[in-house]
Amino acid sequence: MPHFGIPRIFGLLGLLTLFLNSPLVCAQQTTPANKSAAVPSEYVGSETCKTCHEEVYKSWEKGPHWKQTLKEGGIAKHGCEDCHGAGSAHVADPADTSTLFLFGKASAKDINARCETCHASGPQQHKAINSLHRQADVSCVSCHSSHHSEGREFLLAEPQPQLCVTCHQAQKAQFEMPFHHRVNEGLINCTDCHNPHGTVRPHQLRTSAQQDAVCFKCHADKQGPFVFEHDPVKTEGCESCHVPHGGPNPHMLRLSTVNLLCFQCHTNSTFSAAPSAPSFHNQTTQFQACTLCHTNIHGSNFDPFFFK
Amino acid sequence: MTPNAKTKRFSTELRGTKWPVILILLGVIAIVPVCAAQSPDEKGVDSGNYNIRQSLEAGYRANWVNGNQDTYNTFVHLGEGVRLLDYSLEMRSLDHNGLFFDTLSFSNFGYGGDPVDVTRLRIQKNKIYDFRLQFRRDRNFWDWPLLANPLNPAASTVVNPIPLSPHTLDLVRRMQDYDLTILPLSKVRFRLGYSRNVDEGPSFTTLDGGTEPLLNQNYRVTTNQYHAGVDYRVLPRTTISYDQFLKYFKDDTFTFDAIPNTFPLLPPGFNQFQLANGTPVDLGIVWNTTATGGTPCGAPITNAATVPPTVKSNCNGFIDGTFNGAPLPGYSRFATPRNFMPTERLSFQSNYFQNLQVSGAFGYSSGDTKINDFQEIVDGWASRTVTRGSITSGPARAKRVSVNGDFSAIYNLTDKLRLVDFFRYDNWRIPGQWEELAQNLFATPPGPGQSGLTLPISTVTPATLAANCPTAPFNQAACPQHSSSSLADMEDQLFTRFLGQNLKSNTFQVEYDFNRRLNWRIGYQYTNRKIADFNASTDIAEMYLPGGATGNAGNFFLAARSDCAATAGVLPPECTLNPNGSITEIGPEAGNDTSRNITTINENALLLGVTARPIDKLRINGDMSVGYNDASFTRISPRQIQNYKLHVNYKPQPWASLDGSINIRENRDNVLTVDNLEHDRSYSFSTMLTPQSRLSVDFGYTYLDFFSTIDICYAGNTVAGVTTPCPIIDGASPLGATNRYQSTTHFAYGNVIWKPYKRVTAVVGYSGSFTRGTSIYFNQPQFVTAPPVPALARIVPDPSTPPGTLDFNYVKPTASLFIDIYKGLSYRVYWNYYGYNAKGPANPITFAPIGNPDFNGSTATFAFRYAF
Repeated sequence: MPHFGIPRIFGLLGLLTLFLNSPLVCAQQTTPANKSAAVPSEYVGSETCKTCHEEVYKSWEKGPHWKQTLKEGGIAKHGCEDCHGAGSAHVADPADTSTLFLFGKASAKDINARCETCHASGPQQHKAINSLHRQADVSCVSCHSSHHSEGREFLLAEPQPQLCVTCHQAQKAQFEMPFHHRVNEGLINCTDCHNPHGTVRPHQLRTSAQQDAVCFKCHADKQGPFVFEHDPVKTEGCESCHVPHGGPNPHMLRLSTVNLLCFQCHTNSTFSAAPSAPSFHNQTTQFQACTLCHTNIHGSNFDPFFFK
Repeated sequence: MTPNAKTKRFSTELRGTKWPVILILLGVIAIVPVCAAQSPDEKGVDSGNYNIRQSLEAGYRANWVNGNQDTYNTFVHLGEGVRLLDYSLEMRSLDHNGLFFDTLSFSNFGYGGDPVDVTRLRIQKNKIYDFRLQFRRDRNFWDWPLLANPLNPAASTVVNPIPLSPHTLDLVRRMQDYDLTILPLSKVRFRLGYSRNVDEGPSFTTLDGGTEPLLNQNYRVTTNQYHAGVDYRVLPRTTISYDQFLKYFKDDTFTFDAIPNTFPLLPPGFNQFQLANGTPVDLGIVWNTTATGGTPCGAPITNAATVPPTVKSNCNGFIDGTFNGAPLPGYSRFATPRNFMPTERLSFQSNYFQNLQVSGAFGYSSGDTKINDFQEIVDGWASRTVTRGSITSGPARAKRVSVNGDFSAIYNLTDKLRLVDFFRYDNWRIPGQWEELAQNLFATPPGPGQSGLTLPISTVTPATLAANCPTAPFNQAACPQHSSSSLADMEDQLFTRFLGQNLKSNTFQVEYDFNRRLNWRIGYQYTNRKIADFNASTDIAEMYLPGGATGNAGNFFLAARSDCAATAGVLPPECTLNPNGSITEIGPEAGNDTSRNITTINENALLLGVTARPIDKLRINGDMSVGYNDASFTRISPRQIQNYKLHVNYKPQPWASLDGSINIRENRDNVLTVDNLEHDRSYSFSTMLTPQSRLSVDFGYTYLDFFSTIDICYAGNTVAGVTTPCPIIDGASPLGATNRYQSTTHFAYGNVIWKPYKRVTAVVGYSGSFTRGTSIYFNQPQFVTAPPVPALARIVPDPSTPPGTLDFNYVKPTASLFIDIYKGLSYRVYWNYYGYNAKGPANPITFAPIGNPDFNGSTATFAFRYAF
């Protein structure tokens, strides 16, 4: 696969920009939603919406968004119209949807802003500013469906992990590997480790309560603190040795043989903070599997060489 | 009896009834009547004020496994028997005003014997509360025989293959999570949470010693975490939150050497030997008695005809014995680390100001590990140090203090132009200290026929030395006998360690929406990391007793050894000769480093991204980041980073979706003597087609490519006359190679869902992973001994080494049939196949055979599902 040089990428971006802003393309843009009507629209109530959109109303009413009809408490009070906008103009002329907010036609930015009206302060959505999905123009309704979630938790359009691997296909392949986190088996969800709404960590990873790697939530015996830390576990992270989703190698290690993995750092080299292997580690039978002796490799309280 | 043995016995008992049951269940398909259309089960029933929907799926799973059962259990572990495949309950208040709750959702699957059982409960009442519960049980049997396997050579005079991983696990993890939100819609809401995670079961581990024994480990770790939080909407669209976490971790693992080891996971008679007097011994699992070997010792077997075989007593090994009248196990280790971690966190989020959205958090955490009861007991023989055992204890403490914070903001300059800034601060430090109190045990002078493991252990202490060993050369009957390699008799060492990191990172990004169809973003990220470590070791007191066959005045009758080795008859300054002939050492250990080593790393990265929708049906996302670090902490931490992502989604028709993605990560640490280059690339495409309501097809392909190259040098025992250049500046007698490692995987899958009739659904699917790769291997010197040896490529790929996970196919075809019988009742048959086939020689001729990891297994599940 040839590498894309930076100049080439800028060139492609420039051409794409020119093309999309050309009169030919601009003329094809559809009329944006929410164009104001001559007369401002007023709220008509969800029961009015139900008269024509009964099936949609029923599915919405079964979910948690029915709380938008509550007059006390919460933020929203207008039911369907909290999301779709005041409906009187649409009731007057059902063919006219210009005064409504249509999620199927709105931009991701507008959709997200609408949902965040209520959900921005939620504990899962606090870091939406940092959301990689937001940056990639993935909107809330890409994953959630107020009307078609079939009762799934958080109104997900599809269950996990099927929903996530729709886009993240490489991860689907990784979870099918022999050694994998048991996501396909239903033990773990993608959202156990990642917060799709955004976090301060790379790849939208969650953290443990102690703001340490999320891995330690389940693998608490590796968290320590230990007297003798294996430094890169804490400074570089678990991914310096392991692949997180699934892989061909035991314990989801990056390489197929442990001593090869260890030697990448523990080599007699001037550019290595790690101590090199001593001279008697000649890779004969006793020494060709490092963890045969260095068993507590994530950290030890009783031995500087992680023997116990 | 272990769970695995239980499973096997249960399977055997059922096997006799398996086929009749299966035939009956298959016969059900033939006689299922074609009945009137069933009522949709989605409606449920209205009872009182609730709409109630339930579904229950239960049945029987049969399985057939050929090949390596342990590998099957490691990857799949689906057994046979009656199973609760699914039970779910949904209750919904019809008027949203239920008595105790408005909605309840309860789902379960896997009970009855599957390795994964899960229960989820959600229950909520309107504005009052929202409660969630999750219980997960995971049976984790793990045995990949090549991991930590010494790969004993076939040329050894005693061939001792290790057929399983010396780090096999048979654990069960039970995880519970409870979360309660009180007043979820109010201005002030409260959150409570509790999590419990227990991981326990038998496992194997190993130990560094004169030889490496296979140890049994009763593994048990428990984590309890408590959480309380409050959210306060202080202003419109502005919320402040406070969270308090308390995490309590316990490790109650006990490790011991069972001599003889008859653990059910082991083959009968595995690694069992005895002395001439019939005492069982453990000589470890490393057996290399070739001409260049000598592990556990030269020519260990004295009588192969006995059961078990009789071995020499002066081999490195472990034996159960006594000391001062008390039992002295061959090996045991016990400690109960306790870790208490309180964490406080304050956070806020606000959209109060127009066009400005901000969020931030500040947290403090301090974790404390305390161990007051560490004890390790060894009874054995280590020939190099002539040690007969040891008793070690001592308190350990470690702390983790973390201060962290972050702040993020988005400001909309216009409706198209946004500025985003994100700052993160993370400062943690881990000081730790362990005081090691060790008594190393040595033997008394040998009596007739005594050697090694049969030598009595000397009970002389510094206090009783003068009475029992009054004069040089200190070889009286009770005196401990040492060699020049022996450690101190008594050790009181203090290890002090520190590791810390201070990280500050800021990302600034400009985002611009050209129009509804195109937006792009450009950003700059700067990160500064300071890593500090500190490594001090001090002998509070070490005591060396005299005595040994090679003792003389020059070495103070072997009291002057190890840290107190004399040079020309002169002791090191920290060592003091005592009147009774012993030597005391007080002072820093060799390698003591009281300076704080600091590594500073600055990273600069350029970020670019674009999202385009040329037409409504086509969406393109592209991201790129290019970064440079001016230093690295490890040799594989990159100095140069490049990431490229491209994702395209095209929906030409409402029933068709095409998706493709490319993800490339390139890392470099290409400085002299490192020359590290890595890439991790994936290329995927997938298709979902639903041309009609009765037919759905999806298929896809992913290519994964991982490559790594790095210079590797180590100072090993060289062959005489062979000098191999190695691209390093320091070090002696280096052996070197440029490692090239590559692993590529082709993954393909496809599924067809077809409803030939209204009440019949057929599903056929397939997924397969095909992995190939190359690597160098390091167990070469014992085989490549004759010069001329190629320079710099002395270590070459050895085709006789098992490629293991570099070379395999893993295929999983599936098929299912669902038949709707009557009003919510359906009959379901599932067939799954799992086939793992390692390519390349599983048992190369140079290694003692360890068994082929291949397996093929099928499961057939017959179930009824009733929705009501």
